[in-house]
Amino acid sequence: MTGLSVSLQPYNLMIAVLGMILGVIVGVLPGLGGANGCAILIPITFMMSPTSAIILLACIYWGALYGGGICSILFNIPGEPWAVAVTFDGYPMAKAGRPGKALTLSFLSHAVGALVGVFILTFFAPIIAEFALKFGPPETAAVMILTFSAMTRLGGKSAIKSLVAIFLGFILAGVGMDIVSGKLRMTFGSIPLMGGFHFIVAVIGLFGIGEIFLTVEEGLKMEGYKATLTLKDIKESLRELVYHKRVLMLGALIGCWLGIQPGGATPGSFMAYGFAKSSARDKADYGKGASSGIIAPEAAAHGAGTSATLPMITLGIPGSPTMAVIMGGLMIMGLTPGPMLFKDNVEFVWGLIGSIWVANFLGLFICLLFAPLFAAILRIRFGILLPCIIYVCAIGAFAVNNRMIDIYYMLIFGVVGLLFKKLDYPIAPMVLALVLGNMAESAVRQALIMGRGNPLIFFRPPIALPLMLLALFLFFLPTMSKWKQKFFPKKGTTG
Amino acid sequence: MRKADIYVALGLMVVGLLVIGDAVRLGFGWGMSGPEAGFFPFYMGLGVVICTFFIVLRAIRIYRKEGPGKPLIKAGGLTPILWVLLPAAGMVLLTELIGLHLSTVLYLIFYMGVIGKTPWPKTVVISILVPLVIYILFDKIFLIPLPEGIWGKGLIPF
Repeated sequence: MTGLSVSLQPYNLMIAVLGMILGVIVGVLPGLGGANGCAILIPITFMMSPTSAIILLACIYWGALYGGGICSILFNIPGEPWAVAVTFDGYPMAKAGRPGKALTLSFLSHAVGALVGVFILTFFAPIIAEFALKFGPPETAAVMILTFSAMTRLGGKSAIKSLVAIFLGFILAGVGMDIVSGKLRMTFGSIPLMGGFHFIVAVIGLFGIGEIFLTVEEGLKMEGYKATLTLKDIKESLRELVYHKRVLMLGALIGCWLGIQPGGATPGSFMAYGFAKSSARDKADYGKGASSGIIAPEAAAHGAGTSATLPMITLGIPGSPTMAVIMGGLMIMGLTPGPMLFKDNVEFVWGLIGSIWVANFLGLFICLLFAPLFAAILRIRFGILLPCIIYVCAIGAFAVNNRMIDIYYMLIFGVVGLLFKKLDYPIAPMVLALVLGNMAESAVRQALIMGRGNPLIFFRPPIALPLMLLALFLFFLPTMSKWKQKFFPKKGTTG
Repeated sequence: MRKADIYVALGLMVVGLLVIGDAVRLGFGWGMSGPEAGFFPFYMGLGVVICTFFIVLRAIRIYRKEGPGKPLIKAGGLTPILWVLLPAAGMVLLTELIGLHLSTVLYLIFYMGVIGKTPWPKTVVISILVPLVIYILFDKIFLIPLPEGIWGKGLIPF
């Protein structure tokens, strides 16, 4: 209840609305996404109280989740990676003359996904936080290893490339001063490298600039349908939601699972789409504008987004790349995400949770009312939008540390992002590793000191052992099933 | 695409080797008070080298079997990318001299007018308005200083 009252303070409410609107704009525009939208705005939040700051950042994320679908449905161009799965059925429905219905379905599914996510968050966060208070360095390290092994295996990308991305993220995080010994590491005598790489710069470069390069290479053409929402659309969508309630709940729950696990909204939406399709009675409708093909991925995306807050505030481990950025922002403000938040910053935690409830309802109304306006942004020519986006990115990169060199890094990261995307190196685990780098390293080192150099400390019962076993299991599961197919190919066909 | 895969993996391997080299200099073993400064980077670097080794191996095997595959960047795709990258790099270089806002004005005029082929009056209005709004918002209201360059301070009269 304290949370709701914090989030209903007029100032925080205003911030939430502002964040939502900015978020939807960020979500609609290709090239700007939740992760780098938050990254760019972090410098502005330094002058707010931490509670208001996180409300702003979180609302940008929710807004971007809502907004991603608009671009997918009307233009067949995903504004966000998590909106790719919506293009399969959302665009055909718009093409068939029902853009309004497709949009309303998407917004309502988002709202339901958010509700399920925040429900889980509200009830499980205190329990998990209480449990996490027992964690020592070995357990923290084990949780992180579990996080990364879950992430490595998601999205169907090559596991070995995911590993490279994680290692590189940790290496980048380690550049500069060593937090324990004070020695300079990997600077090779150059002064600019002494300051290290800030994850915000990397996020803006990898996600923002890299995405822009990809977009121009594709030769973007913005041709889409006009968005008009009528009351009839809303009524009809509500009826469809009730009719497809099974798919809706399935999508939301898959999303929540992937948000906690963590995988984030993007794999969540794909997985939900796949599940919905394979369990549907009438598969032929999929890809031609089936309502459930919009409902499942959209509910999953928002469920993943909101439930990604859960591991962030209870364990200090973000459940999605955008959450990683938000968490990095909190760390800059001097808050340590993790179970201690529930003891030391009660107002902050419940303010955040309360704001998720409030903001997602607000977001639904903002989207339903102003969807045509947001869609109109996409009619601005890309030749005008593009340089403005790069300008905003440059401001964000500079303002983190007030260093000119960061703008150069941003451009370099942009090229790296393009190469990585092309060659299937996943970017999300790299960003996560960059944000968690220092925490992970000190956890590993402290644990080793506790164990006097014996790595078996990571397997100490009762908490670290099952976590590590689960991590190993998750990591090797796909490999084992592949081997099984390779060495016992007949089993699958005959028996 | 497959050639690029090999080159990028080799490049990353070099990064890994550099990291290992530096970690060895710092010491990666057991020091006076637990693991030394190079401990963590050493294993991360080692991980990169081992993984990229397998990536290169696999890429070469596929390359031998199936040829180079699709090009990394599709035909005609490189020009627009360079048209984004080079002016942006130019803008950043100019920022060192005249500050971010003024160089953005020039960059926006160039990009919208020359590459985006927007009508000139529109181009000029947007190119001046956008940086002006951002300047007032950041430098004046939020008091977040943005790069001024060497001469930038004298060039903006307010």
